[in-house]
Parts: sequence; structure tokens; C-alpha cells
Amino acid sequence: MKLNYTVAAAALMMPLSASAEELVGYHGWSTTSEISALRVLIDAFEAQGNTWVDLAIPHESESNLGLINLITGGNPPNIFVESNPGVYRDLMAMGYGQPVTDLFNDTGVTENLPDAVLQSITVDGEIMKIPTGIHIDGMIYYNLDVAEAAGVDPAGWTSVDDMLADFDKVAEAGYMPIAVGGQSFQVGYLFHALVAAVAGPDIYYRMYQDQPDPTVFDEPAIKEVIELVRTFSELADEGSMNRSWSETTNLVITGQALMHLHGDWMKGEWRAAGKVAGEDFGCINIPGTKALSVTVDAFGILGGVDDETLAAELAWATIVVDPVNTAAFSANKGSSPIRFDAPADALDICNTVVLDALQDPTKGVQNPFNISDGDWHNSIWDVMFNFWSDPTMTSDEAIEELKYSYDAVFG
Amino acid sequence: MSTMTDNFVPRRKKRITGRSIAILAFLAMCAAFFCIPLYVVIVTSFKTMDQIRLGEIFSLPVTWTLEPWREAWSEACSGIKCEGVSAGFFASLKILFPSLILSLSVSSVTGYALALWNVRWAGTFMFILFMCAFVPFQIIMIPMIILTGKIGVYGTIWGVAVVHAVLALPILTLIFRNFYKDIPGEIMQAAIMDSGSFWRIYREIILPMSANIFIVVLILQITSIWNDFLIGITFGGLNNKPMTVILANTVISATGESSYNVDMAAALLTAIPPLLIYFVLGKFFVQGITAGAIKG
Repeated sequence: MKLNYTVAAAALMMPLSASAEELVGYHGWSTTSEISALRVLIDAFEAQGNTWVDLAIPHESESNLGLINLITGGNPPNIFVESNPGVYRDLMAMGYGQPVTDLFNDTGVTENLPDAVLQSITVDGEIMKIPTGIHIDGMIYYNLDVAEAAGVDPAGWTSVDDMLADFDKVAEAGYMPIAVGGQSFQVGYLFHALVAAVAGPDIYYRMYQDQPDPTVFDEPAIKEVIELVRTFSELADEGSMNRSWSETTNLVITGQALMHLHGDWMKGEWRAAGKVAGEDFGCINIPGTKALSVTVDAFGILGGVDDETLAAELAWATIVVDPVNTAAFSANKGSSPIRFDAPADALDICNTVVLDALQDPTKGVQNPFNISDGDWHNSIWDVMFNFWSDPTMTSDEAIEELKYSYDAVFG
Repeated sequence: MSTMTDNFVPRRKKRITGRSIAILAFLAMCAAFFCIPLYVVIVTSFKTMDQIRLGEIFSLPVTWTLEPWREAWSEACSGIKCEGVSAGFFASLKILFPSLILSLSVSSVTGYALALWNVRWAGTFMFILFMCAFVPFQIIMIPMIILTGKIGVYGTIWGVAVVHAVLALPILTLIFRNFYKDIPGEIMQAAIMDSGSFWRIYREIILPMSANIFIVVLILQITSIWNDFLIGITFGGLNNKPMTVILANTVISATGESSYNVDMAAALLTAIPPLLIYFVLGKFFVQGITAGAIKG
């Protein structure tokens, strides 16, 4: 009995000790879906008596200058949205890093995370990031009405060839088979998603890492992927040049095109248009996929703070990775929960596709931004976008360009 | 006035020539270059999202709606606060006035001193100031963060005002100096003879003569302060986020859904204040600029 009292007292103490805490949360979220997702976490946090002070500044680029500025000026935020491992290394070096390895191990979080998530949130052996949601960099979202009208069933495709074979049928029925947006960001994401899906995880990791393996460019699978990118560029419609991903998705939403292959944040546009997964649109992985490139959005917390603040920061971390919260967060944001044990009734069919695929630990690979040199994947984007925009460029020439860029970056 | 009449050449009869067609075509192109995007922004702000999803950006709204404007002004979210760009409007005003007062007063006095008083090393000083006008803000941003942090204004309205004043100092001082240096030496001599002090001459003689140039600088500064994003976001701290920051929060989203109609309305709302200033004070702006130019 005595033990129980202690536990109860400790349980009471925790929120009490944190009750006076006011934490500054720095993020770049402002759309309806993002805010409603963040609200889930803030409500749970404030229910414990804490206060969230909101600091929203958009920081979509990979270098989070705002965060470093705030720290330099002596006003660092307690909680910040940040995925770039380099920032965590910088914070550690400045004495502001705060790992959550012990917390996650002790509270049974670690064992329920997909491998791809665990790898992504670990920086130099310590869990530094508090994952909020999973995004897959290349998924296919398709319009069910268009599929029916054209007489095709994307869910039945088992290979990319199946998919391409059905495209003629779709075109004959008067629809665009695939909507593409000609921006280097979209072509870059398409490329690495295809490398993962078609060439597989081994080749993917030889291509995207701190020190890529220069022999990877001679792999036939790389050539195959590049030629696939050419096929997609040839399927592009006249308006594709510099079209944003959201407008591209809207071609599918409005029934002008069958499908869009892009990051699964597309779901946000579908939901904003009032469409329901499984009723209006379907989602599948790239047919026959060998691996999925995974983007993990994450919070970091500030180290080097007093005990009360740290307790509140850790309380925040616990709230974020709670199975119910992560499911509710993802349902609002349009991502997938970061835990296998998230309540099943909170998942839509797209989440199920994602989590089922990630059950196989070899199937999740990390987003290039998380694992490779910025110069390197930027130059891959450049090469692939030039290739996309120049129909006369052959796949061999693109491979030569990749080798040339490799020498320029690492030579 | 005599020079004006000497140069006056009666205009030839209007005839349509190849040259005038070329000029008209060129001007029409220039106008279209600005007007077509503006047209798209304006019509988009009155469309429903259902129509925008269809992608025909040049078509007129099928059903005109003011909903996006209302949402942009009072409901669009910036972080978890969903108060629209109106929240930023008042923050921008709060930033505008201290920044204006500080930058105008400091630079007009500096310009006055450099133009009309014998300041030691004035030439060198002007040269250094002139060079400073070419230093991009981004280069000195981090040192300025540390400096403002040290003097305790980082994260406050005054932090923003100080940085605006310092960054505008080179160019505004040049403008004021060039205006004041054309004031006849006799006026200054007479003023000094009447035992006017530095400040008294400034207050009673120079300032009353400076209305034109003040309006020019005022317009320049209002525009640059209002449109500023980086200084406000970096030095303003938690509660002083200007309208541009709220706008950026509303509009920029890497992976979120976009409401183009609300985005466009928010952008237009943010652009209105400097536009109004130009319309109201535009006449004085031209007068002020030419006043400086002719006198030289």
C-alpha cells in the first residue's frame, strides 16, 4: 500500500511541479490541418497546468536560421519543430541539446516505433527528436471515380509496368493518367522515392549517405529509375512547368487526372476539398515497392534548463508520443502515427497502407535530407531537374552528370 | 522661370508614327507586366476554393465572395492564434512609429551636421557611411542580434526600431545631407551671427525648410518598414510580429493545404497601407525629389 501512495504522490507531484511552467513553442505551422493537429498536443499539455507560448515562423527551408537566431539573442524556445540532425549536433555542441533516449526507453516508446522512425530520430546514438508524424515521400493518391470511369484498378497493380500499361486505357477514356508538377523539388522527391521503390534500400543507401558510393551510378537499376523519370516527364501536360504540388494534386481531386505520385501530405488537399479516403480517393505505395522513403516530422526540446522547465519539456515529449495523441495528431495533420500501437479506429486506409509497409524493418529508408550532405542531394535535384526539362538528354548523360556532381562535391 | 521658357518647344501635331506605336506597345507591355499578375491576385481573392481548384486562373469568379477577405482579416491562422492579418496590422503600426521617429530624427540631424557644420573628418565619415549602405543586412545580422541582446532591447519594439534606424542611417543621411548642402551659406552665417546654437538653428530654421525632404524620406521609410520581414521577425520577439510575418505564416506552407483565395486577400490587405501613403503623399514625393534635384 505504501508503495501505491508514493506512486500516487509522485503522479500528483508531476503535474503540480510543472504547473507554473510556461514553455515557448517554436514552429512553422499555420494551416487549418496543422493547427488542429498541434491543438491536440497543446490541449493535453495545458490540461496538466502548463502554458504554451506560441511562436510561429515559417521555416520550410532546411536551415533553421530562426532557431539559431533566437538562441544567439538569448531567447531560445523550449520546444521547436526541427528535423535536421545537423541542428541537433549544433545544439549539443552549444550545450543546449537534450536527449530523450532514457525517457523513451523507460516508457515503452522505443519498442513501438518503426525502425525507420527510430533511425530518423536518433542523432549520434542518442534519441534527440520527438517524432510527431510519418510522411511517405512517394505515394500514389488516385481518384476513385476516374479509376472507375477508365476501367482500371490501381490497387491491383503489382509493378510499375502494370501501372504504365494501364495508362493508355486512362488516356483513351479522356483523362490525364498522371499529374506531375515540373518543379525541382517535386522531381527531386519523385526521383529518390523511385530509387527507394524500384532500386531498393541497398542502392538507396549507397546513393544517399554522408559518403555516397561512387560505383552506385553504374547500377542498372539507377539507369532504370532515370528512364522511368523520363517516362513521367513525357506524360506531363502542357501546364506542368513550375506547377506546385498542391495545384497538381487538385488536377486529380477535380477528376482531370487519375493519379499523383508525390509525398503523402497530398492528403491535406484532399481533406480540404472535403474528400474521404477510401470513398473518393485511394492510396497505394508505388506498385511493387522495395522501400519507402520516410520523412519524420519532429520536435526538439531545449537542454541546459532548470529542473522544473526540463520536467515540463519532458512532459511535452511524453504527450507527443502518446499512442492516442499521435493518432489524433496525425488524423488532423494528414500524416501517419509514429507508433504501431496507435488505436486502429483512428487510422484511415492510407495510414494502414503506410504502417503495414513499415512493419517490415527493411522497407523504410530515411529521407535524403536526414542522412546525406546538403550539397549532394541538391546537386542530384539539379541533375534530375535538368534531365526532366531537357527531352534530348539521355539517361547515360544524366548518369555522367551525377558522377560529375559527385566529383565536384566529394572529389 | 526664364530657363523654362527658353527650352519650351511647341509640340508638333499629333500623328501616329511607327515610333509612337512602338512606344505605346512598349508601355502597354510594361503595364501588362504588372497588371496581369495583379489581376490574377485580385480575382483569385474573390473566388471560391472550388473554382480555384479547377485551375483557370484568368477566369472571373463564377460566384463573387467576400468570405476570403473576411477570413484573411480576422480568422486566418498564424500559429495557434487565428486572428487573421488584423493582429499584425496593429503590431506593424506599433513598430512603424518608433522606427520612423528614431530613424528620421537621427538621420536628419546627422545630415544637417555633415552638410552645414564644419565637422572634422566629415568627408571620411560620409565615405564610410556611403560604403555601409552597400553592406547586406544578412551579413551583419548575427552581430546585431548579439549587440541588441547586450543592450537589452532584443525581442522588443525598441529592438526593431533601433535596427531600422541604424540600417536606414547611411542612405537617409545621404539624402538629408544632399538636401541641406544646397541651403545658401549666407543663411547659415546670418543664423550663427544671431548667436544661434546648433540645435536652435536646426529647430527654428532648418526644420521648417525641410517639409519636402521629410515627406520623401517618410514615404521611403514607411514603405521599407512596413514591408520588412526579416528585421521584424528577427528582433521583434514573441509579441511584436509585424503584418508581413502573419502574412508569411498564413501563406507559406511546405506540406499543408493552401487556400489561395485567403492568401491573395491577405497579401492585398498587407499591401494596402503603403499604397495608400503613395496615393495620398505621391504628389509631395515628386516635389521633394525634384526640389533636391533642381537646386543642385
